This record gives sequence, C-alpha cells and structure tokens, in this order.
Amino acid sequence: MSNEIDNLTLERFDASASARPMQTRHRAFSLARVRAITVNTLTELTRLKVFYVLLVFALLLIGSSIFMAQFTFQQEFQILKDVSLGAMSIFTSLLAIVATARLIPQDIEDRTVYTILAKPVPRLEYLLGKIAGVLLLLAISTLVMSAVFVLVLYMREQAVLHTTIRQMSAAPREQLDAAVRAVRASAFNIDMVPGITIIYLKACLLAALTLFVSTFATTNIFTIVVMAFIYFIGHLQATAREYWLQAHASGLITKIFLAVVALLFPDLQAFNLVDDIVAGTAISLGLFFKTALLGIFYTAIYTLLAAFVFYGKEL
Amino acid sequence: MTEPAIAVRGLTKIFPVPFHRQSITAVRDLDLRVEPGEVFGLLGPNGSGKSTTLKIILGLVSPTRGRTEIFGRDSRLVESRVAVGFLPENPYFYKYLTGEETLRFFGRLCGLGGARLRERINELLDLVGLTKARKQRLGTYSKGMLQRIGLAQALIHHPKLLVLDEPTAGVDPAGSREIRDLIRDLRHRGITVLLSSHLLAQAQEICDRVGILADGALVREGRLEELIAIENQTELVLENASGTLLNEIEGLAARSNARVIERRKSTTTLERLFLEATKK
Repeated sequence: MSNEIDNLTLERFDASASARPMQTRHRAFSLARVRAITVNTLTELTRLKVFYVLLVFALLLIGSSIFMAQFTFQQEFQILKDVSLGAMSIFTSLLAIVATARLIPQDIEDRTVYTILAKPVPRLEYLLGKIAGVLLLLAISTLVMSAVFVLVLYMREQAVLHTTIRQMSAAPREQLDAAVRAVRASAFNIDMVPGITIIYLKACLLAALTLFVSTFATTNIFTIVVMAFIYFIGHLQATAREYWLQAHASGLITKIFLAVVALLFPDLQAFNLVDDIVAGTAISLGLFFKTALLGIFYTAIYTLLAAFVFYGKEL
Repeated sequence: MTEPAIAVRGLTKIFPVPFHRQSITAVRDLDLRVEPGEVFGLLGPNGSGKSTTLKIILGLVSPTRGRTEIFGRDSRLVESRVAVGFLPENPYFYKYLTGEETLRFFGRLCGLGGARLRERINELLDLVGLTKARKQRLGTYSKGMLQRIGLAQALIHHPKLLVLDEPTAGVDPAGSREIRDLIRDLRHRGITVLLSSHLLAQAQEICDRVGILADGALVREGRLEELIAIENQTELVLENASGTLLNEIEGLAARSNARVIERRKSTTTLERLFLEATKK
C-alpha cells in the first residue's frame, strides 16, 4: 500500500477522531441488545434453504388435501383439517428442532460467538435473542400455514355450499338454511384457533429444549439425534407413566422420579389437541389454558436451563 | 501509579480431558500488566497459551486460578468489556449480512443507534477502505476484507482497549501493512492494544512491549528495544562512503580494541520490495 493511501486513510481517521467519544452507559439487561440478536437470528434462519423446503412441503401437503377422496362434506372437511393440522404440527416441530440445533454450535464454529460475547453482552441476552428469533420464525411459519389452511378450507366450503344450494334449490327455505348451517359448522369451528395456538406452543417448547441440548452438544447432528429420541419418548411417556403408576405404589420417591422424567421428556401427547378438533369435540377453555401454560412453563424452564449451562460453558 | 489497562495476576488455566485422568495446562502462573496507551505483543508458538490468555481476559473462558482485570474491573464481569474491542483470529462473522449490516449489528450490541451509529459506520467503512463493498455480503469478501471489517466492528464503540488475536494472519502484505499502520495510529490516539502473534518481524515493528509465552508460561517480558538490544554492539549506517573511508573506519576500530563484525550493503526489506512492485 502506498504512503499516499496510508496518509489518506489516517487523515480520514483523524477527522473521525475529533468526534465526541461514544459513552454509552452499560445496562445489566438491555432489550435493545436482545432485539438486535433476535432480528439477526431471524434473518439467519430465513436465509436457510431448509426453512423454505419445509414450509413449501407443508403448504403443498395442506393444499393437496383438497383433492383427497371423500364421501360426504363432513368427511371431506374432517380429512382436510386432519391432514392440514397434522402437517402443521409435524412441520413446526421439525422446523423448531432443525432451526435451533444449529444456532449455537454454528456460532462457536464460526467464532462469531466470541465477537458477540466480547462486547458487553451478557450470555443470557445472547440466548434470549437466539430463542426469540426462532420463536418469531415459528410464529411466521404457523401464520403462513394457517392462512393457506383457512384459504383451502374456505374454498372447499364455498364449493360445497354452491353444490348444496344447487341440489336443494327445490327444497323448502328452512331445510336449505339448515343444510347451509350444517356445512358452515363442519367447515369452520372456533376450536381451530386454540388448536393452532397449542401446535405453536408445542413447537416453542421443542425449540427451547433443543436450545438446552445444544448448549452442551458439540455438533448439531448430535442435538438433532437426541431431540428425535426425546420427541418419540415424549409422545409415549404419558402412557408409560400411567402403566408404571399402576404397577408401583405412588410414594414420594415415585413422584420425584416421575417429575424428573417429565422434565427430561415433556409429555408431548398432552399438546395433541388436533384429534379433538377434527372429531368436532369442543376444547374446553380450562384444557386450553392448562395446556398453553404447560407449554409456556416448559419453554421458560428449558431456556433458563440452557442459560445456566451456557453461563458456565468454556468457549 | 496509573491503573493498568490489563492486569493479570497468578493466572492458571487447566483444561480437563474428558474420560482421561490427565489434564492440559494451557496457562501457568501468568503475571502480566499492560499499561494504558501502549501496544503490547503476546508472542509465542502455536499452542503456547496466547489465545487462551486472551479469552480469559475477555471473559470467554474462566480461569482455574488467578485474576484478570480490565481497567480495574474483574474481566469476568460483563461491564468490564464496555470499553473493549476484540478481533478474533480468522473471524467469520455472518455471511448473509453485508458489511454495513454487520457494523450496524455490532453497533447495536454496544448500545449505539440512530444517526450516531450511521455516522460511525460511514467513518469506519471509510477507514478500513470498504465503502464500495458496504452493500456486499460478507460471503463474497476476501480474507483481507473480512479482517478489515473485523477491525471496524472492534472499533465501532470507540474502545479504550483493543484486543487482536493474530490480526495479520492470512492477510496479504498490503493488507497486513494497512493493519499495522492502523494499529500504530491507534496507539498515537491513546488506545491500548493487546495483540497476539507469531509473526515476530511484524510484532517487532509495532509493539512497545512484548511478552513471550512458551508452554503456557511467560518466559520473557519487557520493552522491545531492551529485550532485543545487544549491549556491546553498535550499528552504523553510512551513505556514499568510499572504500577508503570504510577501510579507515575498520582500522580505527582495530586500534581502539573494537572489532567490525560484518560489513555489507544495506538492503531493503522483502516486504517493501513486494509493496513497491505491486503498487497500483
């Protein structure tokens, strides 16, 4: 580099040096810092090909349920809801695990974590930013999938309504109104909203648990394998627990043991309200709040556990 | 006595090896003091404990024993890093961000925002010569450009202390010269620099004081000119000296019990030759 360029560069720097030094007061906790990491994490995740592959696959599955064979409109709507909500549940869970598993190991491998934590950023804020980024991504995915699902359902409802009105054009007015009401009732019901909320909360729980596992894992493959085990055990643990309780007396030690098992392997079956929605069974407000609180509780606990492990981690 | 920029006392770091009884001692009983405004070089071969020491100073790794302080604050505390900029060895940053977005991200982590941050980003991009590449994603940057954007992010919040881990590693001679000039300029502006390197010629050029680590222990430490000076030898560089004059000087030296050890033509450095040859 020539001296001429050197001098130019240094002159520019000297000019900047005359500016007032930036004195910013350090805050023990800053939402602005968490937000910066959240936005960055969301940007990172939305640039991943796997996100679009999963989303497109889920949307195709939801869209294709329109063409499935059916006998009556009740069956048609039932299949449509079953396939769509099932697809949403599986793809948000899969996305939660795959997206979260890579975040910390990748940052450590690329040494970006050093640059971030060498700034006045507490490790808790770093983790909160990361998990918030994933939760935002899951919320966007759930909203997009829900929108497509509602659109498909609406289109089928309109098609069925047209057919019904055409077929019953000669029928008395009351009979026609009753038929229209029946079609509308079996297409949309209010329970779909809490159902989708629970699907989202289950994905949040899985994301937080994946974050926790990834704080002590060295590769994202290890995290994904562990999470696959937890996912299957989590769906079976309620049945196993009931069987075990029947076989053993429910003493204090048993309760503690079961609590530890429940912490390590959350009862994921408890978040499966899709079957009730598809069957048209009303989800009580109590059940919804209980399940939602369980999801929020697990998400918070796993995030705190992840922070605890990450706090002592040698980087 | 002024408060040191960095104070390391009795620092030891032992890494346990999983599933083995033995452990690895990366740093042993290290005492170090870096004064404000100086450029301190932590030198040593690969695996001598340089990076571990830097990581402990930055609170990324916890010490097994001992204490490290930055401007009098325990370096395990997050607030000790308020006035610190760090450039890791071969930094990778987020490939999907542009140069400008990268600086904005790190600026926000330091509590900056708005017009102040925008101005600072412009200044720094200008300083490191990346203004034209500001909208380019980091995935397309060369190694030298990454190192320069790394340096810019380390300076984003006007730190009082800059910690650089192998700042010129993998950078071409022109980029390396640029970084060294910048470090010298930072020293003139009163910024303390702690750098690790195993490129001794480069460290010799920019450091005021150095510490040499071997197997995790500090084996030498002091002002550079004192450490490398040969007490009983003097260099004399002459221009346009005739052969007769040189012979007379040698004769004079012999008569006064001194000895001319070497007589050779002055040479330029290979780096200077390279920079002149590749100058655009």
